[in-house]
Amino acid sequence: MPIIGDRVEIERKPKLGGGGPGKIPHRRGYGGGDDGDHGGSGDFRSREQRMRRYRIGMMLCIISVTAIFVLLTMVYVFRMGKGRYDEDAHRWIHDWVPLHLPYLQLWLNSLLLLLSSTTLELARRSMARKEEFAAMGIVPPRMKRDMPWLGITVLLGCFFLAGQILVWNSLRHQGVFLDSSPSRSLFYILTGTHAVHLVGGLLVLLYAVAGRLMAIRFESQRIAVEVTGWYWHYLAFLWFGIFALVHFARG
Amino acid sequence: MPTSTSNPGSSEKPGFFRHTFSTDHKVIGRQYFFLSLAAVLAGAWLSLLMRIHLVWPKAAIPFLGEIKPENYLAYLTMHGTLMVFFVLSTVPQSGFGTFFLPLQLGAPKMAFPRLTAAGFWIAFVSFLVLIATFFVPGGASGAGWTQYPPLSALASAGPGQALGTDLWLVSIGLFCVASLLSAIGFVITTIRYRAPGMTWMRMPLTCWAWFVTAILILLAFSILLVALTMLMLDRHAGTNFFIPGGLLVSGKSIEHSGGSALLWQHLFWFFGHPEVYIAILPAMGITSHLLAVFARKPVFGYKAMVGATLAIGALGFMVWGHHMFTSGMNPYAGFAFSTLTTAIAVPSAIKTFNWVATLYGGKIRYATPLLFSAGFVSLFITGGLTGPILAQPALDTYLHDTYFVVAHFHLIMAMAGLFAIFSATYFWFPKMFGRMMNERLGRLHFWITLFGAYATFMPMHLLGIAGHPRRYSDLTGVQYVAAMAPLQKFITVAAIVTISGQIIFMVNLFWSMRRGPAADANPWECTTLEWALPSPAPEEGFGVQRPQVSHGPYEYNVTGAEKDFVMQDAPAS
Amino acid sequence: MSAALRLGILLVVLGCLYLFLAQPYWFPAGVSSQSALIDHQFKIAFWVLGAMFVAAHLVLAYVLSKKTRSNGKASGGSWRLEVTWTLAITAVFFWLHISGDRLWSSTMISEPAGQIPLEVTGAQFQWYFRYPGPDGVFGRIDAQKFAKADEGNPLGIDPADPAGRDDFVSTVMVLPVGHVVQLHLRAQDVIHSLFIPAMRFKQDTVPGMEIHSHFTPTQTGVYEIACAELCGIGHYRMRATVRVVTEQEFEKWLKAHAKTSGE
Repeated sequence: MPIIGDRVEIERKPKLGGGGPGKIPHRRGYGGGDDGDHGGSGDFRSREQRMRRYRIGMMLCIISVTAIFVLLTMVYVFRMGKGRYDEDAHRWIHDWVPLHLPYLQLWLNSLLLLLSSTTLELARRSMARKEEFAAMGIVPPRMKRDMPWLGITVLLGCFFLAGQILVWNSLRHQGVFLDSSPSRSLFYILTGTHAVHLVGGLLVLLYAVAGRLMAIRFESQRIAVEVTGWYWHYLAFLWFGIFALVHFARG
Repeated sequence: MPTSTSNPGSSEKPGFFRHTFSTDHKVIGRQYFFLSLAAVLAGAWLSLLMRIHLVWPKAAIPFLGEIKPENYLAYLTMHGTLMVFFVLSTVPQSGFGTFFLPLQLGAPKMAFPRLTAAGFWIAFVSFLVLIATFFVPGGASGAGWTQYPPLSALASAGPGQALGTDLWLVSIGLFCVASLLSAIGFVITTIRYRAPGMTWMRMPLTCWAWFVTAILILLAFSILLVALTMLMLDRHAGTNFFIPGGLLVSGKSIEHSGGSALLWQHLFWFFGHPEVYIAILPAMGITSHLLAVFARKPVFGYKAMVGATLAIGALGFMVWGHHMFTSGMNPYAGFAFSTLTTAIAVPSAIKTFNWVATLYGGKIRYATPLLFSAGFVSLFITGGLTGPILAQPALDTYLHDTYFVVAHFHLIMAMAGLFAIFSATYFWFPKMFGRMMNERLGRLHFWITLFGAYATFMPMHLLGIAGHPRRYSDLTGVQYVAAMAPLQKFITVAAIVTISGQIIFMVNLFWSMRRGPAADANPWECTTLEWALPSPAPEEGFGVQRPQVSHGPYEYNVTGAEKDFVMQDAPAS
Repeated sequence: MSAALRLGILLVVLGCLYLFLAQPYWFPAGVSSQSALIDHQFKIAFWVLGAMFVAAHLVLAYVLSKKTRSNGKASGGSWRLEVTWTLAITAVFFWLHISGDRLWSSTMISEPAGQIPLEVTGAQFQWYFRYPGPDGVFGRIDAQKFAKADEGNPLGIDPADPAGRDDFVSTVMVLPVGHVVQLHLRAQDVIHSLFIPAMRFKQDTVPGMEIHSHFTPTQTGVYEIACAELCGIGHYRMRATVRVVTEQEFEKWLKAHAKTSGE
């Protein structure tokens, strides 16, 4: 296994022209992008390297997703605070229609999502254990508590989505539509965008679950679960952020 | 160890399908290059039509006939969209970046090559959708590339505002996705795929620019995607984000209420200003790189350059309000945005200083890429110096939406960007296509383009100062505008000459691709890693033998070296 | 090539100098109280930045020559130079910026007293100017319900509102010289922008908003108004005029209009 911590850069003191002709003492294997990669393209295909690439990729996705939700939150707050200019009364009027949310269902959904986050973490750990065995060259013994955590996570994720659809349905029965008022539009958009992102995560998990049937390499499966884990937890976190927003900033 | 990147045994050409849908970053880079070439031809053609219509409104164009006001607006919208998205933010980043980022870093390939390939094909579809808007009923969108609602939100507001605008939104939405996919590959390649010894401070400035730009793309295009979705929902799902109540459009009441037209402007420019830097940062990186190569000198102030790149990237997200001084935004916000805008001028000035200082004392080689890079610096100075005028809200209220602004952004973004693209094309052509471009034609092209660019855009400042609003399809509607027709005619002639001059470039490009003299591995005597490979860059890239980097990127004019430069992968002494 | 390149750059500079010093087109004569201030501010910026343009190009032409060629070790940079330059350019830019901010606060933020109220409405592709009549109050507007251009009510003034009875709408902006005009800017359909170059005035009119702004005409005469925000196919012909008249003439004009729209 490559040593990760060893990143000492031996470089002559800060010359402004880093690109200048100053000679920079070189030691093999140091300072490069791939810490501890001792050359040879084979290393790029190693599990460790792949995992790191996917992790950075996931971080980038999370950055993008964050930008999206920060923007939507800003729109929400802006719209709620500012209201609409009434040309007849010559003043800003507060036209924010408070939301009446089906809290029971929302809490239930939150619970489902939280549970799915937990089961995904369990799935990740069980896979990590298997991998350790595999690394030691031991065929993992069939563990007694080898629950199909991944499958359970997918199911819980589906339940969450179904729950969200129920929430939207019950709002629709109250006469709350996407085009009713800004508060409602934004509620649908925030939760809808969240759901769309969750479906993305779900698809990757399905790929990992189907891995057993479709003979996808264990390694790919493991990366998928590991990386989706971050995403999934982040989406759960986001969900509570959205929930808090629509609860505390009802108007 | 089996590798998929190198296969020295088999030399047969891959089939058409495999070649077209290749995941090789070099193939994709070339594909982006040609996509942008198509886009720039279309965009330039549209600008010609606009210029001709402005001063000879009765002129009948072959196949098109007389141009109507709605056609003019469609042309200006599409000209802006094509040039901003498919040319200025595509070639320098997705084109040259996809091709050269892995090579300059000594990487075996782009990280997630299939993502990169998918990015290109989505961009390609997006381009087709955009072009298709010309042929739908009502024609292409005519609300300008900024698509301000309610004009863009209401199908009844104009001829191109129905299907044309829907498809415009779809096309740019796809382009957002494509850019995001491609940006992910850039960032991961830079972080994970650098060759051993390629420290951050040994990266060429091009790579720094591509890296920072990719991060800007990740943030900016996500935001645009949200804004586009919201506009689409306003158009078709009955939401009210951007459409206020009580509207009466061409005698018909609009059943919307409660939206804010300014919200779109905030969202759009929150994307739109970083977008400007997405277009120009890679161009700056290319120029910094080429000036060092052709001055045979290290870049002056490499670390200051990196710092300025990062500062521009960060500040770029805080200045959007300077597009909105006259929008009805709170006038107090004008102070904040004006201050931040002035602040962003500083890193740009640092870069300019370093470019000039890099040239100072160099043994300059006056090849075509240097000429275009020098042209970039000149245009960047000229276009940049009107920035501090437009950054002042009091002056901007007068100059906003006049030809002064048109002159400003065409010089600093369009022309400077284009000059960087040209210099990069002449410079990297041997590595991309294995042949050299013709120097004589290149020089001729440079002179026509330099004088043409100045002759076209400098007089526009005067039009703006005299109060000529932009986006007028006809000069006869307002009397004081009609009085400016002589200068407009001069500009049109200059534009025709400039654009015709680009035929020289096209001829040079396609002739050299087939007939140009075969290029050596390192014709310009550069230090960076792409020149360690034969020309054209072979499919397997560096293959199994990864370069071992021991030197900085700009070790030119080194005393004691056998040549006047030291390659980055030369053994350490 | 070195000489040609330097010559080319010099030619560019000379061409630009000619354009900007000959000034074949320039600001129209300023006829509002803020025009002198804005012109002065522009002049300062123009000379400072113009000098920088010329200087930068001369330096560029100089460094592109072979004369500076040195055989010694090339410099990779110098923090001292870098910092000096940064501080210098920051000082110049922010000095310009601060003087600009002062002007902005004097023209936009402070609101002088004694105003002529005037409502401006942009509609595709026509400007409407509404005067409140003798009562000084604008009547209610509901464009969707009442607006009928052919019945002389293009803005949709509510006939039930007594404040609106004496309002009248003109397609020419008529103003008395020397008085502050308090503008209420609105739009009926899409965004327009009221641009009066001679007054150095520009303000977008945004549907759903009523924006307040003001200016003071200082000379009598007729000046053109243009639309400066893309508003559709007729954007280029969305023209109107502002007629600045003496106070007596203005009173007469008001009375004449009050009579005709009295019933």
